[in-house]
Amino acid sequence: MEEKRERILRAEDLSAGYQKKAVVQGVTLSLEAGKILTLAGPNGSGKSTLLKTVAAQLSPVGGMVWLTGKPLAEFSGRELAQKLALVLTMQLRTERMTCWDVVTGGRYPYTGRLGLLSEQDRLKAEKAMEMVGALELRERDFNAISDGQRQRVLLARAICQEPEIIVLDEPTSFLDIKYKIELLSVLRRLAREEKTAILLSLHEVELARKISDEVLCVKDGGILEAGPPELVLSEEGICRLYDLKREEYRAYYGQERLEHYIETGGKRLRCGYTTGTCAALAAAAAAQMLFSGSAPKKVGLITPKGIPVEVSPVHCSLERETARCAVIKDGGDDIDATTGAEIFAEIKRRKEPGILIQGGKGVGRVTKPGLDQPVGEAAINRVPRQIIRAAVEQVMETMEEEGGLEITISVPEGEIIAKKTFNPQLGIEGGISIIGTSGIVEPMSLQALLDTKKIELRQVAVQDPKRVVFTPGNYGMDFLREYLARETEGVPVVVCSNFIGELLDAAGSDGVEQVLLVGHMGKLVKLAGGVMNTHSRYADCRTELFCAHTAVCGGTKELCQALMAAPTSDACVAILQKAGLWDAVRDSLLAAIQRQLDRRTGTGCQAGAVLFSNTYGLLGITEQGAEILKDWKEKKGDAL
Amino acid sequence: MEQRKKLTWTICFLAMAAAAAVLFIWNLNAGTVPLSVGYVAEILRGGHMGEAAYRIVWDIRLPRILAALLLGGALSVSGFLLQTFFQNPIAGPFVLGISSGAKLIVALTMIFLLGRGIMVTSGALILAAFAGSMVCMAFLLVLNRKAGSMAVLIIGGVMIGYICSAVTDIVVTFASDADIVNLHNWSMGTFSGTNWDNVRIMTPVVLAGAAGAFFLSKPISAYQQGEDYARSVGVNVRRFRIWLILLSGLLSACVTAFAGPISFVGIAVPHLVKSLLGTSKPILVIPGCFLGGAVCCLLCDLIARTIFAPTEVSISSVTAVFGAPVVIWLLVTRRKER
Repeated sequence: MEEKRERILRAEDLSAGYQKKAVVQGVTLSLEAGKILTLAGPNGSGKSTLLKTVAAQLSPVGGMVWLTGKPLAEFSGRELAQKLALVLTMQLRTERMTCWDVVTGGRYPYTGRLGLLSEQDRLKAEKAMEMVGALELRERDFNAISDGQRQRVLLARAICQEPEIIVLDEPTSFLDIKYKIELLSVLRRLAREEKTAILLSLHEVELARKISDEVLCVKDGGILEAGPPELVLSEEGICRLYDLKREEYRAYYGQERLEHYIETGGKRLRCGYTTGTCAALAAAAAAQMLFSGSAPKKVGLITPKGIPVEVSPVHCSLERETARCAVIKDGGDDIDATTGAEIFAEIKRRKEPGILIQGGKGVGRVTKPGLDQPVGEAAINRVPRQIIRAAVEQVMETMEEEGGLEITISVPEGEIIAKKTFNPQLGIEGGISIIGTSGIVEPMSLQALLDTKKIELRQVAVQDPKRVVFTPGNYGMDFLREYLARETEGVPVVVCSNFIGELLDAAGSDGVEQVLLVGHMGKLVKLAGGVMNTHSRYADCRTELFCAHTAVCGGTKELCQALMAAPTSDACVAILQKAGLWDAVRDSLLAAIQRQLDRRTGTGCQAGAVLFSNTYGLLGITEQGAEILKDWKEKKGDAL
Repeated sequence: MEQRKKLTWTICFLAMAAAAAVLFIWNLNAGTVPLSVGYVAEILRGGHMGEAAYRIVWDIRLPRILAALLLGGALSVSGFLLQTFFQNPIAGPFVLGISSGAKLIVALTMIFLLGRGIMVTSGALILAAFAGSMVCMAFLLVLNRKAGSMAVLIIGGVMIGYICSAVTDIVVTFASDADIVNLHNWSMGTFSGTNWDNVRIMTPVVLAGAAGAFFLSKPISAYQQGEDYARSVGVNVRRFRIWLILLSGLLSACVTAFAGPISFVGIAVPHLVKSLLGTSKPILVIPGCFLGGAVCCLLCDLIARTIFAPTEVSISSVTAVFGAPVVIWLLVTRRKER
């Protein structure tokens, strides 16, 4: 039985059309129970024809269709109707039919000769109407209700047919956005809960991207592309499918994006913003709506990292003194589970003063001690709470509002998303966490980056197993070319990014004997403090190190204070040179760096460092660094 | 809600049955020779044999009443089937010209056979009318496929009706035989002249046709949601449509063969019945149509016989007076709905 449920619909090399003339050709598709497959494509591309053929309303021009493993042609009308239900795009005109009459029409394949309804039929029809939220329409004339309601009734009709697959031809045409979303969420629930397979055609690519498990792009009489929606309906995909220019698409559909980039490992990656930032933005939008009565078009804030973020809130509503807005999470190029999630904030006034922040549906709850929040509290971390509070307070201030507010953060999809995160292991249950201390997501899959670096190292280690130059980035490369070209000629260079410690370990285990680290002082000075990952996210103690070593070398309190206040390491050098202490401090720092390098490499390999700055050029070489350079120079001499 | 609906339906059916019963008795009593209820009852029990009144009740009034009852029912059910088939609320055998087509073929058959001294049986009449209906129906199907709009279909039907009526009139006018002159009355539509032989033939045909329609209630209810949806729940649409054509053709042919073309009953009654019952469920509407059609024809025939007695007006004149406003009302309300 389970086996059978697996694949509901399959088509191979299907050609669909009218009167033996194919409109679409060579279609191969397959659909499993509980999955949603969407056909997208321009008008007249043959989506409807394809759907009608799959639903046995048209005979295929060529190819085969199987339903639950059996060829479609072998089904009797009644058998087929018990497996497959249809919702069509054309408007149904009825005469003196209540919605109940229309819905119970779906029981046709189950009733007897005269079509009388049994008690069971009634229950099934009622359940179906309840599922689409149309129970109160029961006795209403089908012609006298709105388009959206009609479509829901027709869906209920299909549901009470108890099919294994529902085929819908553009079910969202004629519907306003609210009904569109409602209809699609019922479909999603049907798929997830009842395990019904759903095959539909949609014009709204944005919605298709959200609802579908798979998308089939129909164009020019064939399948252009098939695959997961994020891939197929990417901006490029949509432009290709609808013959649009990028600019045309962006002008109307393009989302405003956070245009902040960072460089990691020589790559330019787009930053995103955290769930905490989303919650704060949604809360600010909802607050504005609560006070002004209308939703703001844009809402923005300055993240703790200092980067401003501005977005358009969505799903804004104001009902009974409660304002609700959502902001869509954008992870930038760092696509994680929460990317695309809608973070809602709901705000209402309360009698007590102050701002109360609560977690609603889809926001996890802390069940184990030791996390940012106490047990029993919503998993909204301290910093996001501060950001939310600050954002709302700012709105209150500008709008000259006072009084207590109750803010509820919720993520409708949170519970499902959380399964893809570490939350269950951490003891956060029922949803995702609202997190982020900087407010900004810097796209950097550390492990992935490190892994590629290690592979790079292994590759060069094979070529010349004895020696390698590490440099954090492009500055180092330039410096090497300028100052150490002769010494390092023929020695492989690995751009080690910030992973200095880890790559030293890897070099040791790969059998590299000599590692020369060539880097900007701003980065490498951190090594003096034992900081082996030089990314600023981990530690930044540059001025502190300058300060400590200056103090050891006899620097005055004023000097130390000046160093602590210095903005860059170049500035530190300038101050020290002026005070006449630079040489001493430099040697002290170099010695410290050497100690830390030795400590990290142990007996694995010899490691030394060369420090430079863009202003001063070569600043210093550690003891082992000097030895390595001498060694390389000599060996070169030998070779000559 | 369900209970209240059932109560409404029961009351509607009882009321129609009561109306039919009252009209049945009234029709027996009223006429050029008025008879009292008690007197008629005695006659029906077999009394007063040999008197003129006995003959009037048994040989003239009773067959005529039964014909009005059966053919009225047949006409309405046929109208309902045609409305379903064309998914058009003002379809009906008269409007679509099907009655007129049947009339023409019947007239031609009678002239042809009587001219050769061959007696025309009731069965032959029905066959001729059925053939005429089917020819018209075929024409309408082509028209409907070529231009699927409601207006074109109706106008086409009305035109067919005129052409067929005109040809019938010409044929009848130039027919010399005295028997054929009687056709004139028939071609206007009337229940008069029905005899027991006719009743014996029409009863099984009409009852079978109506029963057939009743057993199509389930697919009809699916078809009311449109052809595609009907197919999607497992209706064999092609076979179903053939059944619809055959049954509606048979029923209207039977009416035309015996009573000539009767206007508007086929359109008005189904709509009145649907309004009355507040639903279009065929399982209720089909029996409702039969009863309603019977009541309507009994009433109209009563009026046709008695209003200018002893002169009789044609039944169509009366039904048109009642039926045409219903059609106008339909057109107006449907326009509003859009």
